Amino acid sequence: MTDHGVYVYGIVRAAHPLPSNLGGVGGPPGIVARRDEGRVAAVVSPAPPDLRARRRDLMAHQELLLALAADGPVLPMRFGMVAPDEATVRRQLSDAEERHLAALESLAGRVEINVKATPADDALAALVAADAGIRGLRDAMRRRPGYEANVRLGEAVATALARRAAEAGHDIVGELRKRAHASAAGPEVAGCQVNMSFLVSRDDSAAFCAEAERLARQRRDRVVLRVAGPLPCYSFVEPRTPVSAGR
Amino acid sequence: MASTSYSGLSGEVIPCPPRAGTLYDVMELILDRGMVIDVFIRVSLVGIEILKIDARIVVASVDTYLRFAEACNRLDLENTTRSTTVPELFGGQAAKSAGKSKAKKAVKSVGETVRSVVGADDDSDDESEEEAQPARRRRSTARAGAGSRRRRSEEE
Repeated sequence: MTDHGVYVYGIVRAAHPLPSNLGGVGGPPGIVARRDEGRVAAVVSPAPPDLRARRRDLMAHQELLLALAADGPVLPMRFGMVAPDEATVRRQLSDAEERHLAALESLAGRVEINVKATPADDALAALVAADAGIRGLRDAMRRRPGYEANVRLGEAVATALARRAAEAGHDIVGELRKRAHASAAGPEVAGCQVNMSFLVSRDDSAAFCAEAERLARQRRDRVVLRVAGPLPCYSFVEPRTPVSAGR
Repeated sequence: MASTSYSGLSGEVIPCPPRAGTLYDVMELILDRGMVIDVFIRVSLVGIEILKIDARIVVASVDTYLRFAEACNRLDLENTTRSTTVPELFGGQAAKSAGKSKAKKAVKSVGETVRSVVGADDDSDDESEEEAQPARRRRSTARAGAGSRRRRSEEE
């Protein structure tokens, strides 16, 4: 390929169909190819010389993985994985063939749904109604208005809104777990009290999202739930594939 | 082609191609989850780290607290019968929208910081500008954040 290495999107079964209409990362978009090695394959394109986490490239990575997932299981790579050359890719595939096949099998017919809980839009009124401590601070602020009283009240409000969203979010997660094959906490995201991904059957994904929405509606004075999916199963692949002994 | 449904504040599930809304909502998964192969090289994500710190400054700041206090105070003025705690009485239109815009602002400012760092313009390939942005943005967020967010809420 090129001097800049081989960008790897994910691992699929050998002969997995490639989407015909999608380019890869880089500008102009790199040409996507599949490299079969035994019963598994890597989906790759030439790595652009100055790859970074640009919007365009994140989109290309995500959309290609989504399109691939429509035709069978995919082990999605984390964004930005570049192999020095094709030989390294092929060697990795053949070394880990059995493990990749088992992982692909475990994800067949399944998708990831991600759920994030943030404080509810109109939670303030409900909070003031429910929380005597906040009402006390509010009354104190009204008696002796001032910067300090304002900050103290505002901080208490922000903390309480976050706490209520977290509690409601955890309740929802508990319910959703019952109908998921697996769940995995996502990375911490600022301003977001709960970030959880679920592994669900593709056939059940619409119903799963609807259930998440229903649970969120029941707690709408506490939490706003952002539901995204179906997604490539980023959170349900072995994060690190160890290098085989002797390499 | 595979499509992803994204559902947000409205509560209804909207099927849409995996575009902006979904990308920003799951960017941390694309960047922090997924398979890693040790013999491969990982692209540098220096700019992304800055983005996370940036977002925290916006969310947990005195500015945010003051806006919450202000909203709380406005809520108080709406409530003429102090003895009651029936939630409906606090849910008057003005009070509701005040609370709404506060929370929305906090969420939005995070999203917008994300957007600005990854490059809001889809076709933008201006490398030097992207590289320069995070530092500049960080300062302007701290200083002018409240003003710009207020303007935005008026546009809604």
